[in-house]
Amino acid sequence: MSHFALSRRHLLKGTALAALSVPFSTFAMAEDGTRRLTVAADSEPKNLNPAIVASNGVFYIASKVIEPLAEASFTGADGLEPRLATAWEGSADGLSVTFKLRDGVTWHDGKPFSSADVAFSALEIWKKLQNLGRSVFANLETVDTPDALTAIFRFAKPTPFQLIRNALPVVTSVVPKHLYEGTDIATNPANVKLVGTGPFRLAEYKPGEYYRLTRNDAYWDKTAPKLDEIIYRVLPDRAAAGAALEAEEIQLAAFSAVPLSDLARISKVPGIKVISKGYEALTYQLVVEINHLRKELADLKVRQAIAHAIDRKFVVDTIFLGYATASTGPVPKNAPQFYTADVEAYDFDVAKANALLDEAGYPRGTDGKRFALKLLPAPYFNETRQFGAYLRQALAAIGIEAELVNNDSAAHQKAVYTEHAFDLAIAPPVFRGDPAISTTILVQSGTPAGVPFSNQGGYANAALDEIIKKASETVDEEARTELYKTFQQKVAEDLPLINVAEWGFITVARDTVENVASNPRWAVSNWADTALKS
Amino acid sequence: MGMMARLLRTRSGLIGACLLLVMALAALAAPVLFPGDPLAIAGPAFLPPLADTAFPLGTDSLGRDVLAGLFHGARASLAVGLAAALAALLVGLVVGTVAGFAGGWVDEVLMRITDAFQVIPRFLLALAFVSVLGGSMTTVVIAIALSSWTEPARLVRAEVLSIRERDYAAAARVIGMHPAEIAFREILPIALPPVLALSAIIVAAAIMIESALSFLGFGDPNIVTWGSMMAEGRNVLRSAPFLSVVPGIALLVTVLAVYLVSEGVNTALNNNQAVPRG
Amino acid sequence: MKRIAALLRRRLAGAVPVLFIVIAFAFLLLESAPGDAVDAYLVSVGGGDATLAASLRAQYGLDQSTLSRLWLYLAALTHFDLGWSVAFDRPVLSLIGERLPTTLVLMGSATLLSFGLGSFLGIVAASHPGSLRDRLLSMASLTLYAIPGFWLALLLLIVFAVDLRWLPFSGFETVASHKTGLARLADIARHLVLPVVTLSLIYLALYLRVMRAAMGEVWRQDFILFARARGLSARRILWRHVARNALLPLVTVLGLQSAAMLGGSIIIESVFAIPGFGRLAQEAVAGRDAPLLVGLILVSALFVLSINLVVDLLYAWLDPRVGSVEAR
Repeated sequence: MSHFALSRRHLLKGTALAALSVPFSTFAMAEDGTRRLTVAADSEPKNLNPAIVASNGVFYIASKVIEPLAEASFTGADGLEPRLATAWEGSADGLSVTFKLRDGVTWHDGKPFSSADVAFSALEIWKKLQNLGRSVFANLETVDTPDALTAIFRFAKPTPFQLIRNALPVVTSVVPKHLYEGTDIATNPANVKLVGTGPFRLAEYKPGEYYRLTRNDAYWDKTAPKLDEIIYRVLPDRAAAGAALEAEEIQLAAFSAVPLSDLARISKVPGIKVISKGYEALTYQLVVEINHLRKELADLKVRQAIAHAIDRKFVVDTIFLGYATASTGPVPKNAPQFYTADVEAYDFDVAKANALLDEAGYPRGTDGKRFALKLLPAPYFNETRQFGAYLRQALAAIGIEAELVNNDSAAHQKAVYTEHAFDLAIAPPVFRGDPAISTTILVQSGTPAGVPFSNQGGYANAALDEIIKKASETVDEEARTELYKTFQQKVAEDLPLINVAEWGFITVARDTVENVASNPRWAVSNWADTALKS
Repeated sequence: MGMMARLLRTRSGLIGACLLLVMALAALAAPVLFPGDPLAIAGPAFLPPLADTAFPLGTDSLGRDVLAGLFHGARASLAVGLAAALAALLVGLVVGTVAGFAGGWVDEVLMRITDAFQVIPRFLLALAFVSVLGGSMTTVVIAIALSSWTEPARLVRAEVLSIRERDYAAAARVIGMHPAEIAFREILPIALPPVLALSAIIVAAAIMIESALSFLGFGDPNIVTWGSMMAEGRNVLRSAPFLSVVPGIALLVTVLAVYLVSEGVNTALNNNQAVPRG
Repeated sequence: MKRIAALLRRRLAGAVPVLFIVIAFAFLLLESAPGDAVDAYLVSVGGGDATLAASLRAQYGLDQSTLSRLWLYLAALTHFDLGWSVAFDRPVLSLIGERLPTTLVLMGSATLLSFGLGSFLGIVAASHPGSLRDRLLSMASLTLYAIPGFWLALLLLIVFAVDLRWLPFSGFETVASHKTGLARLADIARHLVLPVVTLSLIYLALYLRVMRAAMGEVWRQDFILFARARGLSARRILWRHVARNALLPLVTVLGLQSAAMLGGSIIIESVFAIPGFGRLAQEAVAGRDAPLLVGLILVSALFVLSINLVVDLLYAWLDPRVGSVEAR
């Protein structure tokens, strides 16, 4: 036996040594001195073409490769700065917009960029295929190209220049005509192997692992880009980004990939900074969608009661840990052009809420409950789920029993936007700079079932529909802005939905990353000025 | 009774049974000790343990009482485990008995279905089921049952096959009992004990699967389970580790207790056999 | 040899209906799901309108009935065509072919490690049944088995990758490093240490306990008594006779565990961001990608079936008494 014991100890020791003696170098940066920025990505869009899919998930990667006509800016006129267009002007009648284009721009494949590319993108892709462009450019008739650097958009009906301008960063990604003309655009391989004019080229995509972008040496801005490579490291586990930053496997995590509840701790880790700027034009709104087909909820008093039952301060302080603002209405404060504070306010008042429900004819039963509801929080964000848990408790306090339904994205989309199988839902719509392409779709009636993120709660208000329609054709900026102010007042008054809070995301980065948050859409802009401290 | 006594005489059986008893008591006492919804927001968020006597184990990210969650979690976790195990056993018993007793093409078909469920990785099956039908208590239980009924079915079938030809079964057939009656009244009770021994393991596995599903975000948000507490806590694993450690330990202890008991059962069954000394 | 050929034939014939049931079940499951691939896609792109949804449904063939889609699928399957992944816009076969090896490497290493270490420790435990060593080993392995996999994974990750930085944080290999040959292999090995250790620690208990129990069984058998009577040393009996014979039931467990491990890899791959089979399954479910999910389930079923076949063959080879008796 003693022999055996000895050999066993020997063996164990052997394995332990073998396990420990392998030299483990820590993290792998490019050894050859390339300036490589590695960032976290949590999704891999199937279609990477931002001209077709104008969504933040696509822009996050594609905006470095394919550029819009103009980008959002902290300092520029009307909140814009030039990209592929250098100047833009709308006619007084709202029937045309003229773009002056940048000279000396070439596509990544070496072909020159010209107004023909803009005309093709606008007519064949933005107008016909793009999720947002289909409404913005609905009345676009032709695009005249008198010379290679001028594109004149002509509309069949007056289209507000204000809308076009506000939508420029989002809806005007230009793709090369020579690769798309005469092909089936939806299935063109260039939708995945992007070819653009941006500061970076898409060099490599390994599904499930990473995207690799490399420097475009022929970029029109000769001072940029300041990085040689950007790697998007796919980290599907939402809680992984924080640890990956600490382990220096990534240097930046945008879109609140690091959970808000971990920010206080991680901000104290040496070498890591927390940045809440750079999302001013990407405001997300926390909204309670209401199914007006449900008898109780069709009653304004009940909706008011729910609005009074929500403690917005708790939502902002505890769920968003202060990284949010309480909402007053359907337009966020971050859109000063349109925002008005002059609306009906619903302060947190449980007694008032209870009184309203009694008044509405829904007294508490013997068990203290008035009626039961199905509550469907959108699964996309931690915060929407948490708000769901909170709202369930807030409703319990006023005698409404809410049952939370835990669906994944596809099931949530089907339940809320196709089958109307909800009573209350929690949505995080994004404000895209202009109410016409953001907030109004949740209020406007007549959208067919199956359209995501639209009004599927059966709410129909002719007066509001009229305002929305009129604003979409009003060319005069002041008059249009006034219409949207009325819109906000009417929504706050009639509560087709309840706006709870609005938030921008948080970027967490290593100290070595410079020029983070340099514009209000930074995470989805081109990162031409982003640099690494050496 | 004799089995129980023998079980408690084994060391692991005793420890396991005691631990399980504590968990069961916690589950039963939960509504008395912590009346009301354990998901209610009771205090400030992220209170560390021992900081406030009202919340001995602290509070979570929304200010919910961790201790209340722990007790109610025992209730829900054990309920999920038991319900899933019960459903799995029931399906397994019926399928196994019918297959074993009927024989022929019925047996063939049932066994091919059993095979089919056995070759799909268990967790993949549960995950697909729950994510497709939504995370609620019912779907979670069905999902776990769906992925656990094959073993009892096989076991019952084997038992039934071995008993079927014995005298009393033949006698019952002679006196003209309906085959189904013979199967479920005469044969099943005898085939049951070895299957029940398996059930403890299914309960433990069910609790584990529930926690894993919760971890991936497919739990029932209306109920607090240890798995859902751990899933909530993992976002703040580093700043507030107690949020996932506390329910994690409860889960570990329970599953361990189940294994200890089943080990005790095995030891008790083999006790009369000699154990060699090396 | 004849015996083995008969076994093979029987197994292959049995596999066909099993696989058919698997496919039909997977189809039915997805059919009862709320939301289809188009819903999932529309959410991922942040919106769309009704005409777009309808044209996409037509393009994916979702406007046809389940039965006709099942029929088309089966027809294609006879040419070894697993269909087209809707979510990835690529052939399912190439996707699976890309991801499966990763998982197989992970599973294979974990199985080897847990099998080796587990059976070794099982022998150690069984050599002194009831001793402190035996009980400690038993208890420790049971505790590991009772820890939820994701939790163990997270703890190991934080300790060894974030705090100590001994090991890489996640992934299958260093991203975009363009390493080749041995350097790449070493890189992959480093990345696999944590996930493999996690998986192995969990499944260690199983092998340890089965080995220990089997050793107990074998000890009692006649030929061991005979060997002892012949005066062979305890050590020699333990290793040459007992352990060797106790391996048989272990091989069976190995087969049974293959399905469990494939399922367990879903969680481990999610925590360690390894682009393998499990991750693909999650994405298939989330994207309501019927062809991909059915393909994945089918391939895993095939995999489990073939492992079981190999185990049976191994068994027949190790123990000539088996084979003539078809237990199933």
